[in-house]
Amino acid sequence: MLAVKVSTVLGSKTAALNVKLAQALSSGSKGSVINNQELKFDADSATYFLDSFPENFDVGKYTFVFEILLDESAQEKLYITEAQTKIPIAATGAISIENAEIAVLDGDVGSVESQKKLDLTKDGAVSLSANHLQKLRLSYQLNTPLGHVFKPHQAFLKLKHESQVEHIFLVKTSGKKSELVLDFLGLVEKLYYLSGKYEIQLTIGDASMENSLLSNIGHIELDLPERPEKAAQPPVQPTDPYSRYGPKAEISHIFRVPEKLPAKQLSLVFLGLIVLPFIAFLIGLTRLGVNIKSFPSSVGAATSALLFHGGIGAVLNIKALSLLGVFLSFVGHSTLSHLASASNKLKSA
Amino acid sequence: MMNLSRSVALISLFLLPLLTFSFSVDNPTDRRVLVLLDDLSLKSSHSIFFSTLKSRGFDLDFKLAEDSKLALQRYGQYLYDGLIIFAPSTERFGGSLDSKSIAEFVDSGRDLILSADTSASDLIRGIALECGVDFDEDSSAMVIDHSSFDGDHTLIAADDLVKSHAILGKTKIEAPVLFRGVAHSLNPTNNLVLKVLSASPSAYSANPSSKLSSPPQLTGSAISLVSVMQARNNARVVISGSLQLFSDRLLRSSVQKAGSPNKYEKSGNEQFVTELSKWVFHERGHLKAGSLVHHRVGETDEPAIYRIKDDLEFSVEILEWSGKSWEPYVADDMQVQFYMMSPYVLKTLSTDKKGLFHTSFKVPDVYGVFQFKVEYEKLGYTTLSLSKQIPVRPYRHNEYERFIPTAYPYYGACFTTMAGFFVFSFVYLYHK
Repeated sequence: MLAVKVSTVLGSKTAALNVKLAQALSSGSKGSVINNQELKFDADSATYFLDSFPENFDVGKYTFVFEILLDESAQEKLYITEAQTKIPIAATGAISIENAEIAVLDGDVGSVESQKKLDLTKDGAVSLSANHLQKLRLSYQLNTPLGHVFKPHQAFLKLKHESQVEHIFLVKTSGKKSELVLDFLGLVEKLYYLSGKYEIQLTIGDASMENSLLSNIGHIELDLPERPEKAAQPPVQPTDPYSRYGPKAEISHIFRVPEKLPAKQLSLVFLGLIVLPFIAFLIGLTRLGVNIKSFPSSVGAATSALLFHGGIGAVLNIKALSLLGVFLSFVGHSTLSHLASASNKLKSA
Repeated sequence: MMNLSRSVALISLFLLPLLTFSFSVDNPTDRRVLVLLDDLSLKSSHSIFFSTLKSRGFDLDFKLAEDSKLALQRYGQYLYDGLIIFAPSTERFGGSLDSKSIAEFVDSGRDLILSADTSASDLIRGIALECGVDFDEDSSAMVIDHSSFDGDHTLIAADDLVKSHAILGKTKIEAPVLFRGVAHSLNPTNNLVLKVLSASPSAYSANPSSKLSSPPQLTGSAISLVSVMQARNNARVVISGSLQLFSDRLLRSSVQKAGSPNKYEKSGNEQFVTELSKWVFHERGHLKAGSLVHHRVGETDEPAIYRIKDDLEFSVEILEWSGKSWEPYVADDMQVQFYMMSPYVLKTLSTDKKGLFHTSFKVPDVYGVFQFKVEYEKLGYTTLSLSKQIPVRPYRHNEYERFIPTAYPYYGACFTTMAGFFVFSFVYLYHK
């Protein structure tokens, strides 16, 4: 239903008027669908309305031309700002989509290699494959409720590669149907030579279409030739902001593993082996019948002897070497000279 | 003469406190905001937005964009902490303002809200480009969406909002946000900009009254309706493609998305612009860090140098500005790195819920000059970049292991030789 409100410049109610829809010019066709239709006045809501439209009033964009005439019974001086008021109106309705199908065509011959029927009201799971010598054809028919061909404002076919690179193509309507043929041979460079899985998405929409749709048709595996060196690189895609800001993976330092030492028992075994010769030496000495008989009996000599051996022991201890060295040479000299004289006496006697 | 100079001195004395009355390290929320309008009627058509700002304590200064006395600085001091530019059709600013001075304003750490509308002048586009935002080149294009509209196909009902409590607050915005204006896209290599309100996959940017002859440049979710940028110095910028998004009409209007059964009494616009203005003027999401504290386990003083394989404890205090006071910051993704050319240790800090983050680890067995580094970047929060240097030395000669069992045979060899010599000296001298 069409309702029109007329007011004065300042917004207040007007006197009785005669409002007429002079023309309803369609944006597409010439001529008017409605001519000089008078609108009825509804006193309750103070609007002029038209409750029924002619049968051939189709979905689409129109420019309504209104004419306001003063009623013959008007007494005051009233002025109308414009003789004809033009208002763009979009008449909406549900558009029917029929015969939607997608096909892969072979090269120049145009023979169909694989063809699938589509239901565009829901997402599909069509799976196609093509190489660069083939073509992709999408076709469908859009009809208004009255059966005329409908040309929507938005008819996009979007191919989205796995690497998020997107390409959009317009589906053109001509004659009775809408069709798009993608010749991959010519599109290879536009597609940046990226082979792989492309998702196919179709979006059809218009201001006068009540059932605008976005349908994920399915995917197509494209096999394109290798990229030559001079070809353009695909554009950089933005990174996902949520992953950009997340915490980083933890790092813990791996300490240098110290060299593997032999087992403690093994070291003790070798200690035993080392000590063995010493014990053998002691046993050997006793076997040889050594004795310490000629230990000097006189006190002075004995003391120096003890000190001498004590000194050797201390030297073996390594500490205070220098002092000991001096001390040792004196004491040692006295002991050894005493021994030498003793043995001399023995020899001479 | 004397009277004049004395009165000037007195007046400047009174002015001094005013000059210090701006945002500071201790109080990061902006105070004085310059609002540039290209039409003074915006004061009344956007009155709800401005009155919510005033009620939160902002000092708004309304000026026409072409006012010849416009100035952001006087005598080297900035007069304002924030700038709102609601002048989409202005070709040239008056006074000393131009895109360069506005870029310097943001570089000094100050915040900006910039809005285009169905028409965006080259000046506005240029300022947006400095922030990494590309408006649609076609000046007659608008965002059209045949699936997510309310009434008119150019009045978009958008609900693809960024998931961030810092930017949009803790309460979820239930109703869609109404938008009518131009589309913009973000430079993909720029990692400082972010889409706050994106268009739906069926949206596109084109002239609604003419047929499309070639595919539009901007389509789908690549279209950003409202974006934000946080610069490296933590200055915040909001760029919107619609001035009507802030208007009273859309703030009060009800929303019903086409094809959806839900009708909302009030659009999400008021909550959206209020929360966004809280974020951009540093009332939320602003962090401050205390100093980094580290010491050996068991000690309290900070050593001048660590030894390899020491056990150390590290802690840092982080506070969050709530709009009025500093509150302890609670998060579970604060991390510290022990860094020398590359991180040797990276650990997540545990929090005691009172703002203190701590952890402990063993110093690696590599020596050199290390840094404790805290580099914190979270969506919507200011970036924290703290570091403290500390050297690490290897073992001293007497800190190595001693008397290891493997050496026992060698000790044995040494001592048996000594003992053997001792016995031999006895025996050789006194044997008869």
